[in-house]
Amino acid sequence: MTAARTLTSPQMAALRQILQRYRGQGGAYLLPCLHEAQAVTGWLDADTCTEISRALNVPLVQVHEVIEFYTLFYNEPVGRRIVRVCDDPPCFLAGSSEIVRACARQLGVDEKGGTSSDGRVTLEIHPCLGRCEQAPFLMIDDDAHGHVQPAQIPDLLGEGA
Amino acid sequence: MSYQPVLTARVGVVDPASLKDYEAHGGFRALRHAIAIGPDAVIDLVTQAHVLGRGGAAFPAGIKWKAVNEEHGPKFVVANADESEPGTFKDRVIMEGDPFSLVEGVIIASYAALAEKAYIYIRGEYPQAIACVQQAIAACYAAGYLGENILGAGFNLQVEIRKGAGAYICGEETALFESIEGKRGFPRLKPPFPTQSGLFGRPTLINNVETLINALPLVLYGPDWYRQFGPSDSPGPKLYCLSGRVRHPGLVEAPMGTPLSELIYEYGGGVTGSGELGGVLLGGAAGAFISPEMIDVFMDFATLREIDAALGSGVVMVFDTSADIKGVLKRIAHFFAHESCGKCFPCQLGTQRQVEIIDRLAADRLRPGDLALLREVGQTMTDASICGLGQTAAGAIRTALDRFGYEASTGEFYTFQR
Ligand SMILES: Cc1cc2nc3c(=O)[nH]c(=O)nc-3n(C[C@H](O)[C@H](O)[C@H](O)COP(=O)(O)O)c2cc1C
Ligand code: SF4
Ligand code: FES
Repeated sequence: MTAARTLTSPQMAALRQILQRYRGQGGAYLLPCLHEAQAVTGWLDADTCTEISRALNVPLVQVHEVIEFYTLFYNEPVGRRIVRVCDDPPCFLAGSSEIVRACARQLGVDEKGGTSSDGRVTLEIHPCLGRCEQAPFLMIDDDAHGHVQPAQIPDLLGEGA
Repeated sequence: MSYQPVLTARVGVVDPASLKDYEAHGGFRALRHAIAIGPDAVIDLVTQAHVLGRGGAAFPAGIKWKAVNEEHGPKFVVANADESEPGTFKDRVIMEGDPFSLVEGVIIASYAALAEKAYIYIRGEYPQAIACVQQAIAACYAAGYLGENILGAGFNLQVEIRKGAGAYICGEETALFESIEGKRGFPRLKPPFPTQSGLFGRPTLINNVETLINALPLVLYGPDWYRQFGPSDSPGPKLYCLSGRVRHPGLVEAPMGTPLSELIYEYGGGVTGSGELGGVLLGGAAGAFISPEMIDVFMDFATLREIDAALGSGVVMVFDTSADIKGVLKRIAHFFAHESCGKCFPCQLGTQRQVEIIDRLAADRLRPGDLALLREVGQTMTDASICGLGQTAAGAIRTALDRFGYEASTGEFYTFQR
């Protein structure tokens, strides 16, 4: 994937600081570094990967392999917010299919997931999020929402959110 | 139900951000006692109590603790908090509600194993748990429970959190090591076992969060106290994750070997939906379904193994007779196909074939020979996969077909027709 980088200068400055902190630390700090970098940049473009590879002294191919392997790392642009809806059995029994449908309708994306055309929100169907007692459950970035109802989706994902 | 919780006694009672509150509720008494009796005595307690690993595989903890203790040179302790088995949420409840207990458990394990560096690997989808544990670690450094010369006992320990990045396979211990080392989560071939060659090729003690917090009351009250709960071959207090169609889903702490019917009808308040039990998935997606006739079974590792089921991570997922069981099986099949790491063919290909057949089953479009093929694929995965993911990927589906009266001519599960 080679979408071009589109970082603002504050993002560039923040990224440089992170790379400075991880300089020379090696593979054992690759995951923490990727998490921190992505928290600033939203997704990990080819230039960022190259810089991370050089800073940590980890082969570039390893950086790319790792990003591709883990579902929480992105090598293509994603929405500014990510909504992860669980659709595993306990959530399914509690009506997660309707939650997925409501999210997809609200964002104008496929029920398998996707990013709204304004680039604001990405919908993902995510494996069990470990809150099965609060089914149906979804997360918006780091925020937990248990026992969600389809009627709440417009508020949770609407323009103002 | 006269049991008094011990593992979760502080959850919802203490302020998870306050070390003072933790200490006021008995926190760090176990560590002080451990230091008073010394590493070898701590390991003897764990061995005598016959603590079995709560991460799923039920391996005796004492054997691992002793093996790592006896190795020389740098070694590691790892707390496995990847918790991604569908239906499992126990470790999250502990980390969010009583994070200091996990840190104390890690310190005791490291003291016993003579390790000076520990990692707590928490799944990336648990930001609140990560924040709570991070905060607890910082407070422990400040108070002298972590760092150099802990409690003046001349032992040192550094603890770091590692945040996972969304991969079920990284809960498998060797894949987890690869992940900490900054690689894809591909399981390693065993042997060598982690106790000899684990993280960074060094002897490593890896335990589940629940296993580690078992050490706290055990060190304080001793093996006889511990073994009063549950059968002698599978003792102790146990966390059960109750979900699905029950009135009160949530975390239940009860003795090992509690009857399943008690968990569902007393702790869980009974079945919702149609009100009639259709089946229960035990152990999570990697576990097995059991039918309503089997619900008097005792919930411990040994008993469940005997009836071709599994306690696994303590999942009790309840289905009433009106549940869309085909939709459930479809999600289980997709889960494994999605999470297979792709390192070995039986699992990579087998989980794909399984999805295709279950999708046809769910759409009532099974082809002749599909069910036989499904069994064959399942058997191959069970026998020939490198790691537990592939070895367990067919179990839930196989047990559902066998125990819920699937009738290929009508495409119905007899148990779920009501
Ligand atoms: C696919 C797979 C996923 C696993 N996930 C976890 C997990 O999330 N947490 C855990 O403690 N053990 C998990 N395990 C079990 C670990 O490999 C290992 O047995 C465990 O961490 C050992 O700790 P224990 O002895 O305290 O149970 C998993 C195993 C497999 C095969
Ligand atoms: S069994 Fe599956 S998850 Fe395990 S190593 Fe093989 S492909 Fe990977
Ligand atoms: S099944 Fe949805 S959070 Fe576990």
